Amino acid sequence: MNGLTQMIRIEIVVSGRDAPPIRELVTSAGATGYTSVSGVSGIGHHGQRSGALLFNDYDTLTMLITVLPPERAPALIDAVRQLLQAGSGVMFVADTYVSRPEYFQ
Amino acid sequence: MTLMIRAKVAQAAHAIVPAWPLESFIAVNPLGGEEGRPFEHAVGFARLTRTDPEFHSDYRIGRITEADLVAAVNERIPELERASTAGHGQVRIGAQTLTGAQVLAAELALLMPLKPEQAAPHSAMDRVDRLAAKWVAAYLDPNPLWTMPDRGAGFYGAWRRLVRHDTDIPLRSRRRLRSLPDRADDALAEAIARLDIPESQVERAMQAELAGLPGWTAQIKWRAEHVGDIDLTSYLAVRFTLRLALGAALPSGAQGNIPPLLTEPAATVMSRAEQLTRHLCGSLPVGPHTPSAVARLLALHPQHQHPFTWQRAYELHYQNELLASLRSEAQATERPLIQLVMCIDPRSEGVRRHLERDPKVETLGFAGFFGVPIRFLGYGAREAVNSLPALLSPRHTVTDAPLDGTTGLRRRTRLRLRDALASGLHASDSVTAAPFALAETAGWFLGLGTVVRTLAPGVAGALASRLDSITVPPLPATTTVSTAFSLEERAQLAETAVRMMGLNRFAALVVLAGHGSTSTNNLYQSALDCGACGGNPGAPNARAAAAIFNDFDVREVLARRGIIIPNDTFFLAAEHDTVSDRLTSLDTHLVPLTHRAALHQFEKLQHAAADRLVMERAKDLPGASSRQSPARLRRRAHDWAEVYPELGLAGNAAMIIGPRELSRGVDLHRRVFLHSYRSEIDPDGSALESILTAPVVVAQWINHQYYFSALNPDRLGAGTKTVHNAIGTLGVLSGQGGDLRRGLPWQSVGFGDDLLHEPMRLGVTVQAPLEKIGEIVSRNQVLRDLFDNDWITLTARTNPSEEWQRYTRYGWSPTQHPSPPSEGAVQ
Repeated sequence: MNGLTQMIRIEIVVSGRDAPPIRELVTSAGATGYTSVSGVSGIGHHGQRSGALLFNDYDTLTMLITVLPPERAPALIDAVRQLLQAGSGVMFVADTYVSRPEYFQ
Repeated sequence: MTLMIRAKVAQAAHAIVPAWPLESFIAVNPLGGEEGRPFEHAVGFARLTRTDPEFHSDYRIGRITEADLVAAVNERIPELERASTAGHGQVRIGAQTLTGAQVLAAELALLMPLKPEQAAPHSAMDRVDRLAAKWVAAYLDPNPLWTMPDRGAGFYGAWRRLVRHDTDIPLRSRRRLRSLPDRADDALAEAIARLDIPESQVERAMQAELAGLPGWTAQIKWRAEHVGDIDLTSYLAVRFTLRLALGAALPSGAQGNIPPLLTEPAATVMSRAEQLTRHLCGSLPVGPHTPSAVARLLALHPQHQHPFTWQRAYELHYQNELLASLRSEAQATERPLIQLVMCIDPRSEGVRRHLERDPKVETLGFAGFFGVPIRFLGYGAREAVNSLPALLSPRHTVTDAPLDGTTGLRRRTRLRLRDALASGLHASDSVTAAPFALAETAGWFLGLGTVVRTLAPGVAGALASRLDSITVPPLPATTTVSTAFSLEERAQLAETAVRMMGLNRFAALVVLAGHGSTSTNNLYQSALDCGACGGNPGAPNARAAAAIFNDFDVREVLARRGIIIPNDTFFLAAEHDTVSDRLTSLDTHLVPLTHRAALHQFEKLQHAAADRLVMERAKDLPGASSRQSPARLRRRAHDWAEVYPELGLAGNAAMIIGPRELSRGVDLHRRVFLHSYRSEIDPDGSALESILTAPVVVAQWINHQYYFSALNPDRLGAGTKTVHNAIGTLGVLSGQGGDLRRGLPWQSVGFGDDLLHEPMRLGVTVQAPLEKIGEIVSRNQVLRDLFDNDWITLTARTNPSEEWQRYTRYGWSPTQHPSPPSEGAVQ
């Protein structure tokens, strides 16, 4: 696609207090980086979730986004699935395309 | 496989609550990982309520009444209350006709107390626990005499290289430790495989290992997230590898409290019913159908629920008296001369009450970081501190900017000299043989100091303070808050603070008082400092907030948003010392001449108030008496043998969110978190949402830390201070080894064999529109968990003309509370 390189994008939404082990998995999986969006809101399996709270980063939802080469993604996906069994949270996995693949290797 | 192992470790550790190090002690709910479950189903190695005999004892002395028991039963079994309201569900027993709730309450009150369940004994530390504790302590000790070799390789890496020399491990086992994988993940996976732990049992086996040393585990979890030099994967790799090498059996993996069956066998219920019926009938004949009718009611209240009903009755007694004592007065119309804003900490209540004896003084409560979350670096300080609630991550660093560079330089030079002297003394004291030389050269001087500190701690304190002011002169400075935050950010912080604390008018002098505590030889010093400031004294935040409010650019922005701060209003920072109860005014060089008289008046008022409050507190303080002088009581701050410099937040039981008129003039005995709030200046409820999701959460952490430390002093508390040994500033051990202690020491919650702290779950009382509160609770999982699962309770009313309503899972329910106590005070 326009000379872009295919990668896997993984998005994980968990509460702020559950984010550290997810971040640890992402870095242990060899991801060269991630984006963290705190204070995401929405409605899901556990009901309504407020967005950013002024003085509490701990109990708001955080979305972690990372992009990996396809060969590294399955291990992370399996590990995150395992971890999400312990609490609330969702994971979305999708194909994505990047222009500078060396950034993600 | 490696990632999967890490995922399993994280899963096994999910419910473990991280423990902050002692240097910035943060009170947490030790069972916080269980908040997603109902309180009474919390799984943990913990006692969840007081014991049956203790409740019966309270019943006999009137601390719990029959009305409290009936109210508790009705609250816990709503169908009984509904039936009673509809005129159904009454039972005739002997000469009496009782409602269902009265029958269940009678069973609790009349029948013999259940024998208290013995807390499961501490399982003896196994060999792996002992070894793991030794190695973790050696690795994490921040001030060791000898730094652990290869520390840079991480915990597992350093241990792997050194363990073969550990003579506490039998030689045969050490041989097995000679060739270990390079990485902790691989070592953990390999050990689990060689221990033949089935895949389905891995998480459980990990949980059992993590439960072996719960204090160290909680500390490592915190450290993994905040420092990163150790993690639970490497810790478990060491444990499982040791277990394999030693051939030690896997721990049993007991699961703590097991939720009991929901129903009891019919025969048990019938036996209870017959016993109760005989009690209630006395000498009258028992009707043939009466035991069956009673049994149907008792079946609704199995015996395992009884302690929780007692506990609720115990709490309702206090909460109903508190509600009855609250007032419904309007705000005084006259502009106050002085406004004092203090932390919501219950210790502020005493200061506020005594100062408000003067009608020209108005006080407010707000989180002690004053809405300014900062990382603060004092001038010449060695390192910055996170002066903000543990719920937040620091994003802005504020420092001191001296007004006079020469004085600043002189101060820094002298601080360095003092530091060098102190570290020289410490080094001489610690290096082999050097203590002899030290004793020869400085022994007389230090010995004299020791005698003075022991026999005359007040004199020692005064001398130290005098010496301090001579050697390191005070430094007139300002904070760099205006460069750390943009104008828009500062205006936003100010607006938020004004709306959150309901500051609807401004006195000529507005004092923002943080708080800190002074004590000597107290490892738990930071537990007495401000929780909202990360276990640090609150002066930096008060100074930063005052600077923001005094900034005319900020005031201009606020004016455009409808918040007009009069030109004659000056904000002064201060700090409340919770041992002496004195408030020290800060940055007084910034006070304009026009406000000097008001400052003088404030200091005069607060001196008198502090003396009265210290005398009042003496009634509760072990070893003190109200016959002692305030100076004698304040001497505790400098007494290095004093284990009760103050009582901290012992007794905390409730939180009130509303205008001060609710509680002004009521003696709340320093037991209530007071957060000011006026719904009139918070039309969209965003300030209320911030209060409920932050200060309430922090207050709940504190409340549960005290609650569980009081009920479980050995498991979830730190035990007695008198045998504590510090691991640097990390934590304490009881004795010379073993697990890191969690929670509060016994001296924070008890005296002798008795509790000083009444363990009650926090009762939150809010004056705000019920609909708005309901919406906020509905959209915040943390609040749903806390309120729906009975970790804390919520009572509210929209305005003073309405009755208080209790929040339940099914909606708001009217409260019934007795008339105010005659003394107008709530104990």
